[in-house]
Amino acid sequence: MYKRINFKYICAGLSVLALSAGLNSCTKKFADMNTNPSAIATISSAQYPQMFAYAQQTVTLSPDNFEIGEGAIASMYSQFFGQAAGFNTDRYGIQQTWLPAAWNPAYVSAAPQLRTIMAGTDAASAENAVANVWWVWTFHRITDYFGPVPYSQAASGQRYVQYDSQDSIYYDFFTRLTAAVTVLNNHKGEKPFGAFDLVYGKQSDPVSAWIKFANTLRLRLAMRISNVNPTMAKTQAEAAVTAGVMTDISTDAYMQKTNATYNEENGLSVIAGWEDIRMSASMASIQKGYNDPRMPVFFQPATATGLYNGMRNGLSDDEKNNIVANTSTNTSNLGTRWCNYSNGIWKAVYTTPQDLMHAAEAYFLRAEGALNGWSMGDNAQNLYETGIRTSMAQWGVTDQTAIDTYVSNTATPVAPGDGMNSSAVNDYPVLWSSDATMQRQQVAQQKWLALWPDGMEGWAEVRRTDLPKLYPVLHSDNADVPVGTTIKRMPFLQAEILVNGDAVTRAVGLLGGPDNAATRLWWDIK
Amino acid sequence: MRAKLLAACLSVTFLLAVCGRLIAAPPGPIRGRIIDQKTGKPVAGVSVTIKGKTGGTTTNEEGYFTLPLPSGKATLVISSIGYATMEQAVDANSSDLVISLAVDQKGMGEVIVTALGIQRTTKSLTYAAQRIGGDQINEVRDASFANTLSGKVAGLTITPSSNGPGGATRILLRGNRSIQGTNNALIVVDGVAIDNQTISGEVKDEAGSANAGQSGSDGLSNINPDDIETISVLKGAAGAALYGSRAANGVVIITTKKGKAGKLSVGLNSGVSAESAFSIPKMQDQYSQGVGGVYGTTALSSWGAKATGQSVTDWRGQTVNLQTYSKDNVKDFYRTAVSTNNAVGLTAGSDKVNTYLSYANNNATGIAPGNRLMRNTFNGRMDVNLTDRLSADAKITYIVQDIYNKPGIGSDGLLAANVYSIPTSVNQNDLKTYKTVDVTGVETPVFWSSKSDPVIMNPYWTVNNTHHDENRSRLIGLLSLKYKLTDWLNIQGRVSSDSYTEFNTQEYANNTVNYARQAGGYYSEENNYVSERNFDVLLNGNNNITHDLKVTYNIGSSLLDRSSRHRITAADGLAYNNKYDLTYATTLKETVSTVKRELQSVYGTAQFSFKDYLYLDVTARNDWSSTIPEPYSYFYPSIGLSVILSDMLKMPSWVSLGRVRGSLTRVGNDPDPYLLAQTYKFIPGGFGGYISSQTSKSIPGLKPELTTAFETGTEWRFFNDRLGIDLTYYKTNSKNQLLQVATAASSGYANQYLNAGNIQNSGIEVVLTAQPVKTRDFSWNLNLNYALNKNKVISVAPGLAYTYLGSADLVRTVEPRVAQGGSYGDLYGSRWATLKGQHLVGANGLPTWTTDYESVGNFNPNYTIGFGNTFSYKGWSLGVLIDGKFGGVIASGTAAELAYNGMSAVTAKYRDNASLVLNGVLADGSANTTGITAEQFWKNVSQGASSNAEFFTFDATNVRIREVSLGYDFKRLPAFLKAAKLSFVARNLLFLYRGNSILDLPGIGKRKLDIDPEASYGNSNFQGVENYSLPTTRSLGLNLKLSF
Repeated sequence: MYKRINFKYICAGLSVLALSAGLNSCTKKFADMNTNPSAIATISSAQYPQMFAYAQQTVTLSPDNFEIGEGAIASMYSQFFGQAAGFNTDRYGIQQTWLPAAWNPAYVSAAPQLRTIMAGTDAASAENAVANVWWVWTFHRITDYFGPVPYSQAASGQRYVQYDSQDSIYYDFFTRLTAAVTVLNNHKGEKPFGAFDLVYGKQSDPVSAWIKFANTLRLRLAMRISNVNPTMAKTQAEAAVTAGVMTDISTDAYMQKTNATYNEENGLSVIAGWEDIRMSASMASIQKGYNDPRMPVFFQPATATGLYNGMRNGLSDDEKNNIVANTSTNTSNLGTRWCNYSNGIWKAVYTTPQDLMHAAEAYFLRAEGALNGWSMGDNAQNLYETGIRTSMAQWGVTDQTAIDTYVSNTATPVAPGDGMNSSAVNDYPVLWSSDATMQRQQVAQQKWLALWPDGMEGWAEVRRTDLPKLYPVLHSDNADVPVGTTIKRMPFLQAEILVNGDAVTRAVGLLGGPDNAATRLWWDIK
Repeated sequence: MRAKLLAACLSVTFLLAVCGRLIAAPPGPIRGRIIDQKTGKPVAGVSVTIKGKTGGTTTNEEGYFTLPLPSGKATLVISSIGYATMEQAVDANSSDLVISLAVDQKGMGEVIVTALGIQRTTKSLTYAAQRIGGDQINEVRDASFANTLSGKVAGLTITPSSNGPGGATRILLRGNRSIQGTNNALIVVDGVAIDNQTISGEVKDEAGSANAGQSGSDGLSNINPDDIETISVLKGAAGAALYGSRAANGVVIITTKKGKAGKLSVGLNSGVSAESAFSIPKMQDQYSQGVGGVYGTTALSSWGAKATGQSVTDWRGQTVNLQTYSKDNVKDFYRTAVSTNNAVGLTAGSDKVNTYLSYANNNATGIAPGNRLMRNTFNGRMDVNLTDRLSADAKITYIVQDIYNKPGIGSDGLLAANVYSIPTSVNQNDLKTYKTVDVTGVETPVFWSSKSDPVIMNPYWTVNNTHHDENRSRLIGLLSLKYKLTDWLNIQGRVSSDSYTEFNTQEYANNTVNYARQAGGYYSEENNYVSERNFDVLLNGNNNITHDLKVTYNIGSSLLDRSSRHRITAADGLAYNNKYDLTYATTLKETVSTVKRELQSVYGTAQFSFKDYLYLDVTARNDWSSTIPEPYSYFYPSIGLSVILSDMLKMPSWVSLGRVRGSLTRVGNDPDPYLLAQTYKFIPGGFGGYISSQTSKSIPGLKPELTTAFETGTEWRFFNDRLGIDLTYYKTNSKNQLLQVATAASSGYANQYLNAGNIQNSGIEVVLTAQPVKTRDFSWNLNLNYALNKNKVISVAPGLAYTYLGSADLVRTVEPRVAQGGSYGDLYGSRWATLKGQHLVGANGLPTWTTDYESVGNFNPNYTIGFGNTFSYKGWSLGVLIDGKFGGVIASGTAAELAYNGMSAVTAKYRDNASLVLNGVLADGSANTTGITAEQFWKNVSQGASSNAEFFTFDATNVRIREVSLGYDFKRLPAFLKAAKLSFVARNLLFLYRGNSILDLPGIGKRKLDIDPEASYGNSNFQGVENYSLPTTRSLGLNLKLSF
């Protein structure tokens, strides 16, 4: 059956082909169509303030990140808190999948924005300097968790990222902070990033506050290396004090928090509402022994007993559940600044500003420096006592009699009355001792109290000084860190080993010990 | 583009109009009817032409045709696929002809709908396809009809989700091939793909936190099974040339009913069924709430004292005699759910216009209190022969579906978790008083522990004071115009639209732990809009090149526009308690996303047939996709061959059919949009918001994915089709997959996109059909579907050993990993460490775990068998479908959590003293002698939220009686009734076999799997692990079909 192809078939065929051709040439709008209407294609310096705010907010950790990245780790190892949740991190168990909660905010959320700002602004600008200060703040917490970490190549976009030794990281911290303060001194009165500076944006003179913040941080970091590199520590500490550290609570650093979005809520409040944490037995022993006026601010009485009670660290699940005094209704949750109890339910106060760094700490750092023989602008006792009074002021304690009584108190920590019938955690009084060893213990103890609730800094200083003497953990789930020893670091992330393994292998070499929780960091040599 | 397309369409229409005028008005027409010689039933779609002339017609659904007679006498050539072509002389006096067509015996008459609605005899297919009749899915029913396909097609794996009626179903053909894209088959209804994504999200972790435990609804379940005429399943990638790249996962082609010429006919299908929980884990009923063998109400677990009626103060503060309720707590919490289904279909027509109208009402309750699905489906279809040459087919389907109180799945305070967490000595009846109300009207949940849990809550609070409701309105429209240019060439233009809006709400009353975080409660509204529009033009024709060599061809062009908008507005905190209205929001949060994409295609197919026993298929398609970089273009061809040996060679008469086939296909696939450029994003916040770089590294050089598929098969039928066997072997490789893989976070990116991977699937499928007994009154038909699939991950990505399915974090039991050298679906987790083949035990007598995650098995079955039997005796018919999945494992988070909490039956042993001495060795090789208690053991191997996978992984092998139907066709009917059939139907009647735990625990043994391994998180790739899923259900019901 052969057909003569007539006009109409050709016509039809052509129209299909024409349509096809029409389709093919119609890809012009594809590029537009493939542009995400919800994304921003390009940015300019107009966006830097919001980028800086992001770098600030995220490294203070969202509630989810705070819970597993800090609350279950540093908050326990500092012994600021006991663990009411069923986690085993308090028994030194390592939850590898939790570590990104501590790591990723710095590298993925903060560092890329800080890099963009630092690259896009004049090195002599206040914005550039503040970004550098925040960079140091961000990474000192990371390196003090893990040791050698990606630093010089952090957020460089490279697929494989080198780790830097902790000493080289610390030395860069000093360089950056020194340079930043020099720049900032030329910009007093300016408001870098305006209200988007979520730490000091509400201050009348944010630049002056940032200068004090940078110098206090420099003093903190100098003290951290005082055992491993005493010479540099002294130089940096004295330079920091000369340049002007925090001296009163007016420049204390807080991160603003809000309940506008979940990730902006105060993580400590949220986990207090979740009943993750409780007053630690160490805290109870010391604060009860001293009749510390800050205790009712830090904590509230147990709901079942009306009494302040703490939990030992490293409790087994049995001990947590079956010993009534260890149960959550018999132990103290955080104070009403963070959470409230009604009708059997704990509710978090999401908007409480998060503590970053305070003048009280600066006084105790100076007191320790003075004991080291460094020039800290005053003698150790004065700095110690001013530190205590500054901390009281910071927490709103105004009763001068109570404060005076506290400073001159010869009482020592007591048996906390916890579920494990623990004896007193140590025997340091508040009243300044004439004994040099005791003085160091007293400075450490009061600084420990003043650093509360910042578990990250608390754990770092406990590791550096092995002071104050705290309770040993009762049980260990970690063979590398048996009962009687203390945990020294977090192991490297499995997630990094998987995709950046060669760099992690080299980092273990820089670490100078096995990649486990018992290996000491570079500055932790005592 | 639209304008151009419109112009093109108009030009085609104009052309058609012009062509139409060329046809001269005919002298008196001849009318006739074509019937099947054997059955006497009318045959539709038969080509009737006049010998030696162009033009002609086809019969309508009732077999009628009308043809103008150009002169007094003529010879009609009557041909239809599957029938022997015949000629019939007619003259002007011939009226109301009835012509009987004989089945083309050697040609196996079965016709199957293939791509673009083209009907082909199965013998000419170069790839495997299987057909399911509408009656196979509209008797034994499920709220999602896709679930009723299980066991009916070789190589098709159906996985329902466990969150009540209307949950999304995973439809997998020939194994998994895409690591992060969808593996679900493409759904095509009446020639046009419909949207089958799960727009409102999927659950991708064990916590259920990824999407608040909500596994959204899919698209397929919206279809009313009563509207379905047939389903064809193209198992391989063969449909891709015509349906585009989405067909790479196979295609489920649904052909819906059309109107039939003749008198008004009404069909009624009415069913009622009762569903109850099918698989509840066995609980221990000896020991009470508590820890360490001591009764206590602060504990959430049941490691307390043996309940012997001793006097205790219970969680309510009442003095009671201690006893357990765990035997019935779960069973009593869930209810017997009743579903009704009523569908009416109406057909009427003439030789010019045929109409089909239908309405279905589906009212299904779930076993979770308050959970209910209501679906109304309105469907209208009309096909019109406008002229002898021009015909139109129009269809409109409107679906309104409401789901109330959909339960979430996962462990984070979602319904099943809360039910399973009730301690043994707490009576769930006492929890019905689930709240207290204070003087100001504030409601506070009542909980069974004096410690308020931050996650777990009273399940009656969950079902009464939290609500997830879904509403979906969907409109599917189709208009196609077909113009017959000659009897051998048609042109067809088609416009279709599938769009739906979803309005989903979530309500959490004030004081709901974990979910209502701010005062007043939480309320959110989710608005989704999904649209898929397709325009195509297709020219199809057939010619006889020589007498023996024929060709059938299609040339087409299409434009596919897909877009979706997704918006969630949440009131986190309400100014008035539990006032679920956005205006009461104390904080309002918005999340918006938009997706737009376009695909333009040109394609062609040609099938050459030589002497009707040798068929060669060639297809080619070029796509231009907006989601890939310039020049946006990719091309993919296919070739296939089918040889009818039984026609080509001389075969004994008892061989009805013997053929071999083979095909080779390549399919490209475009990725999701917006991946090419590195961008920034705005993040709302309370301080003026934030701007951040995107945490995924973009992929400017993105390439389309590429799947190559090879398949070959052979099909034989014997003894007049009484026995048939079809064997298929296939192999597919999917390369260049778009992967979002984790980077070193230190790089500044959380993840990056890569084009990588090579996933290989190979397998065999066997379909056996037989009619062992056939007498006048009794017949027995059986069919057996067997499928075996082997998967191999040849590579993942350079420098990357493995990546994840689902979420990499929040691993609680196992993580499904795709690892190089492994298999898609391998599950990784902790195992019991060994020393020289013996289990390693610590000095404390407890198992020592491996430090690294190791594979504990693969979640895919090795092979599946569906065995269907139909017995007919006079008016009676009995259908039994046995469905088996053999091999594969499931990691049960439920088992782990129940063990941790001392709830499962297996935890009752070794309670009272440390008498469990694990048969294993210490690190120094000496035998373990340390005794431990059950509590120590189970708390060690299950840490509640995270557990040792090997201890809670089970062989997922299961064989069940999937469907039973016993029906009777009533004979002596009143005049107004044409047919009546009443059936008793059952689904998931019982398990014939379930697997055991993979570990044989010393002193405990192998544990029987006591959940249903089909209880899944939904239709995402995150499979093989369940955690606190709702029990699956057994349904028993009655079904009545009437036709008037």
